[in-house]
Amino acid sequence: MATFKVLEQNNPRVDAWEKVTGRATYAGDVYLPGMLMCKTLGSSRSHARIVSIDTSRAQALPGVRAVITGVDFPEIRFGSGALKDRYIMARDKVYYIGEPVAAVAAEDEITAEEALALIDVQYEDLEPVVDPLTALRAGSPSVHPDLESYEGYGFTIEGGNICTLLDADRGDVEQAFQDADHVFEDTFRSQGINQGFLEPMACVANVEANGRLTVWASTQGPYQVRAQLASVLDMPLSNIKVIPMELGGGFGAKLRLAFEAFPSLLSMKTGSPVKLINNREEVFTQNGPRHPVTNYLKTGVNKDGTIVSREAYTIFDVGAYLGAGPNSGIGHGLGAYDIPNFRLRSYAAYTNKVYVGSYRASGVADMTFAVESHMDMIAHNLGMDPLDFRLKNAIKEGDTAVNGSRVPRNGLFECLAAVKERLGLPRELPEGHGVGIALCEWRSGTGPSTASISVNEDGTVSLLTGSVDISGSDTSLASIAAESLGIAMDQVIVARRDTDLAPFTGPSGGSRIVYSQGKAVELAAEDARNKLLALAADRLGVPQDALACADGSVYVQDNPPQSLTLGQLAAMSVTSRSGPIVGNASLSTLPYAPVFSAQAAEVQVDRDTGQVKLTRYVQCQDVGVAINPMAVEGQLEGGAVQGIGRALTEDMQFDPETGAVRNPSFASYLMPLALDLPELETLLVRVPSEDGPFGARAVAEPPGFGPPAAIANAIYDAVGVRIRELPLSGERVLAALRGEGNDVAYIGDELQELKRAEGLAV
Amino acid sequence: MLRFDFLEARNLRHAIALLQRHGNDSRVVAGSTDFLVRWRQGFWRPAAVVNLKGIASLGRISFSPRNGLRLGALATVQSVESNAHIRRRYQALATGATSFAGVQVRNLATIGGNVCNASPAGDTLPALLAFDAQCTIAGPQGTRTLPLTEFFLGPGRTALEQGEVLTQLTLPAPMPRTGSLYIKHSPRGAMDIATVGVASVVTLEEDGRTCRDARIALGAVGPTPFRATEAENLLRGRTLTPGLLGQAAQAAEAAAKPIDDVRGSAGYRRAMVEALTTRTLQHALQMASGRAVTFEEQRRLAVQTAF
Repeated sequence: MATFKVLEQNNPRVDAWEKVTGRATYAGDVYLPGMLMCKTLGSSRSHARIVSIDTSRAQALPGVRAVITGVDFPEIRFGSGALKDRYIMARDKVYYIGEPVAAVAAEDEITAEEALALIDVQYEDLEPVVDPLTALRAGSPSVHPDLESYEGYGFTIEGGNICTLLDADRGDVEQAFQDADHVFEDTFRSQGINQGFLEPMACVANVEANGRLTVWASTQGPYQVRAQLASVLDMPLSNIKVIPMELGGGFGAKLRLAFEAFPSLLSMKTGSPVKLINNREEVFTQNGPRHPVTNYLKTGVNKDGTIVSREAYTIFDVGAYLGAGPNSGIGHGLGAYDIPNFRLRSYAAYTNKVYVGSYRASGVADMTFAVESHMDMIAHNLGMDPLDFRLKNAIKEGDTAVNGSRVPRNGLFECLAAVKERLGLPRELPEGHGVGIALCEWRSGTGPSTASISVNEDGTVSLLTGSVDISGSDTSLASIAAESLGIAMDQVIVARRDTDLAPFTGPSGGSRIVYSQGKAVELAAEDARNKLLALAADRLGVPQDALACADGSVYVQDNPPQSLTLGQLAAMSVTSRSGPIVGNASLSTLPYAPVFSAQAAEVQVDRDTGQVKLTRYVQCQDVGVAINPMAVEGQLEGGAVQGIGRALTEDMQFDPETGAVRNPSFASYLMPLALDLPELETLLVRVPSEDGPFGARAVAEPPGFGPPAAIANAIYDAVGVRIRELPLSGERVLAALRGEGNDVAYIGDELQELKRAEGLAV
Repeated sequence: MLRFDFLEARNLRHAIALLQRHGNDSRVVAGSTDFLVRWRQGFWRPAAVVNLKGIASLGRISFSPRNGLRLGALATVQSVESNAHIRRRYQALATGATSFAGVQVRNLATIGGNVCNASPAGDTLPALLAFDAQCTIAGPQGTRTLPLTEFFLGPGRTALEQGEVLTQLTLPAPMPRTGSLYIKHSPRGAMDIATVGVASVVTLEEDGRTCRDARIALGAVGPTPFRATEAENLLRGRTLTPGLLGQAAQAAEAAAKPIDDVRGSAGYRRAMVEALTTRTLQHALQMASGRAVTFEEQRRLAVQTAF
C-alpha cells in the first residue's frame, strides 16, 4: 500500500462541530421574515377523474394567503428520465392515494391544515390496478391510457401497463440450457421499502426582488431539482437558485424534484417566502418508496458446478409514474459470476400506487437477494459447499463483465477469503443456529463531476464542488485535496455551495461521490499544484521538475530549505503573469471499476415462533484505498444495517384493493434500532482501482445488498427451510417450518406471455 | 378543529370538575406519549385536554403483604419496571413494563395511561389482568372499584363514565410459590407494539408439584386483552406436566380471536399464543418452584426480537 499523509487516517469529519452541537442548518431550520407554511392535500382515491375542486372555503379562512391546484401549474408533464408521464400536481386525474391535488400557504401550519379540510374535491372513481402482475395482463385497467402520446415514450412492446423494458443478452441461452447437466428455476420476491431517512422532505422557496426564485432544499441533487423545477414551472433554469442544505439522509429518495414546486408557486403567488415540511405519513405516502419486486431466475449448471447460462426476468412495479431507476437491478442478474450465456429482462408496470423512487442501488439489492439465494440453493442441490460453488464461478480479472467491459484487477477473492477466515468456514453450529454467505457486486459510480480549488494567501485552499455532502463525502473530498497538495486536512476549506456558485455536477448518489467527484478533486488539486510548481520554478529559478510540493510548501528536492510556502506563492500569484492560482477539473465518466463485497450472517431460529435472531454479521469489501477508514467502516455498517432491516423487518405494505400504504409510520414500519443489533464486524480489502482517486473504489451501495440473502441462507443452514420472500419474518419461517407453504407466486404464465410478446420461442 | 385548550388539573377534584365541564369533548393526558401522535393522525381531536400529571399523590407505588400492590395511576412505566417489590413478586408485570416502548417513553408513560388507552396490545395489561388487578375510579359521585377484567370494553373503550378518572390499581399479594412471566412477540426490541403478548402466573401447592392457581392473560389477540380462563381451569389442582401445559396452551389458542393486520396474520397470532403460553407457563412454573431468574434474564425472555 502506498504511504499517505492524509488518506488512510481516521481524520475527524469537517462538519463534526456543526453536527454534534446541533448547529448544522437543515432546510427546516431556514426561517425568513413573513414566511408562510405550506401543506398539501392528498388524494383520497386510488384512481379517479377529478370532477371539480372547490377551494373557495379554504381561501376564505383567515390566515390563508393562497391555495393552488394542478391547473395553476403550466400544463407540462415531466419525468425522472426521458418519459414524461407526470404532472407535478394532479390536473384531471389522480393516480394514487396521497397524490397531491391542492396546496395551501397560510400564516401558520395549523391554519394551513385547517384549510385543507375545507377543500372540496369531487371525484369520479375509475377502476384501479394495484398488483403489477395483474397490470401486465391483457385486459387490465390502464393506468395511463394515453401513454403512447406522452413525450419520451419509446417502448416497443405493446401491452397492458408496461412502461419500460431493459434487456441484455449474450450467447445462445436456449442451447446452453439444453446442453447443461442441470437447470434450476426459482422465483423470489422482495418487499416494498421506505428509504427511512430521518429528515423528512423539506424546503423553503422565496421569490427574490429581482424575480429570481431561491429554493433551500433537502436534496442530493441540486442541479436536478433546478432543472425539473424550471421544467414544471416553465421558467428559465437560470432564474432558479437551489441551495442544498445539510442533508438528514436521502438514500436515493432525494435525488430529484420532490415537493419544491408547491412552495415555489405559492411564493410566486403571494410574494412571501413559503416553507414546506413533510410529516412522516406524507413521506411514506407521497414520496417515492421502493415497490415489491419479483425476480425469476433460471440457471444452467454442469455436473462440475460450472454455470453455463442464466435467464433472469424482473417484474417491477413503478406505481403511478416511472420514477427513478426502477429496474437497473436486471443488469446485475449474473451476480458476481462469469456466465457465458445470458438473457436478462426487466419489465416495469404501472399500478395505482405511489410512484417509485430510488433506494441505495435501485433494484440491485432485490436482485442480489434472488441471485445469492438461488446460488445457495443450487450449491446445496449439487452437494457442493456454497462458498466453493461461488469461488468456482466468481468473475475474475480479464473476464468480460455483463456490460461488455473487461474486468480489471479487483479484490473479490480476497473478500471471500477474509470472511471465510473470520468465521472459520465451513463451520458446524448448534441445532437451530446457522450461517449463510452472500457475495455482492456493484460498480463505482461515474457521471459528470467538477471541482475547483483556489489557493489562499495564508496557505489554505478553498474547495468548491457542486456535490451535496452525504455520509461524510465533504470530508473525503477535503482529504483528497489535502493529500494531493501536501497540506493538512484543516488547511482545506470546503465551501458552501449552491447552483449559482458551483459548477454543475451530478447528484450525490449511486456510489459516485468519492470515486468520480473525488477524481475531479484530485485532478483539480493536480492542476493547482502544477500552477504552484510553475510559479515556484519561476521565482526560485529552478526547473519545475526539481521541485516537490509537501507540508504546505514547494521546495527544491535537492535543497529543501530553498522553498516557498503555499501562502507566499498564493500572494505572489495575485500579481503574477498567470494570475491567482485556481485548479479546475471537469470529467464525465470513468472506466468500469467493479466493487465486491462478501458478507456472512449467523442466526438463531426459534422453531416455535419462527422468529429469526441475527447473532453475528461479518462483511468484507474491497474499497481500493480507504480514504478515511473510520468513515468507510461507518458507511459499510450503516449499509449493512439497512440491509438487515430489509432482510428481517422492514415491509412497506400496500392495501391490495386500493394501493394505499397500510403502515405509513416508523411505529409500524420497523427499522432496526442500534441497541437491537449484534456487533457488526467489518473488514476491508484494499486492491486499488485503476482510475479512482488514489486507487479508491466506491463504498456506499454494496453493504446493503448482502443481508437478505446471507440471512436467508443462514436460516436454511439452521433449520432447513428456504424463504424466497422478504422480509424473513417469523410468520414466514414458521409457515415454512410447518410445511404450510411459503412459496412465492409462480410467474411462469406471465413470463410466457411476455416472451411471446418479445417474439421468443416459448 | 385542530386547536384545543390545555388544562392543568391541580388536584383530583379539579380534574373531575374539568372533565365534567368539558364532557365528551375532552381527553385526559398524563405522560402524553400517545396523545400528540393520535392527535396528529386525527384519531383524537378533543376541544379540551386535561393534564393529570401534576397531581403528585397519584404517582405512588406501595406494597404490603396484607394490601398487596398499590399502583397509583400516574406511576410511570419505568417506576413499575424498576420497583423492587414488583420485580420480586410480580415478575410478569415487571417484564411487561420493561418490554414497553423504549426507555424515553417508559420514563414518561404512566401505568394508568396504558390501562385507560385500552389498547388490545398494551404491554402492562396482560400482567395486570393475570394478577387480578382492581381499579379504583374517582368520579363526581365518589369512588368505586371495578375488576380490571370488567374495565376494558373494546379497543380504546373503557368502563369509565363521564367525569371519572382511574386513580389506582390494586393487585393482591401473590401467594408463596408463585412465579410469572410476560413474553412480548415483536420483531423489534424497542419501540414496537406487541404482535402477541402473553402473561402467565403459576402458584404451586406446598408439595411443589400441584398447581394451586394458574392465570393466563392474552394481549393483541382480541378487541381487549383478556384472561384465558378455560386454559387456566385445565391447570388448577393438577400436576403441571409438559403435556398439560401444552393442552392449556391449545386452550388459550382456542380462546384467541385475533385479526389480520400489518403486524401479522390471525393464523400466525394464534400460533404465537400457543407457543408463548407454553413458554410463559414453563418459566412461571420454574420460578414458582424456586428457580431464581435474574431480571436481565427475564428481560431477555420477555422481548422476542429479530436483531
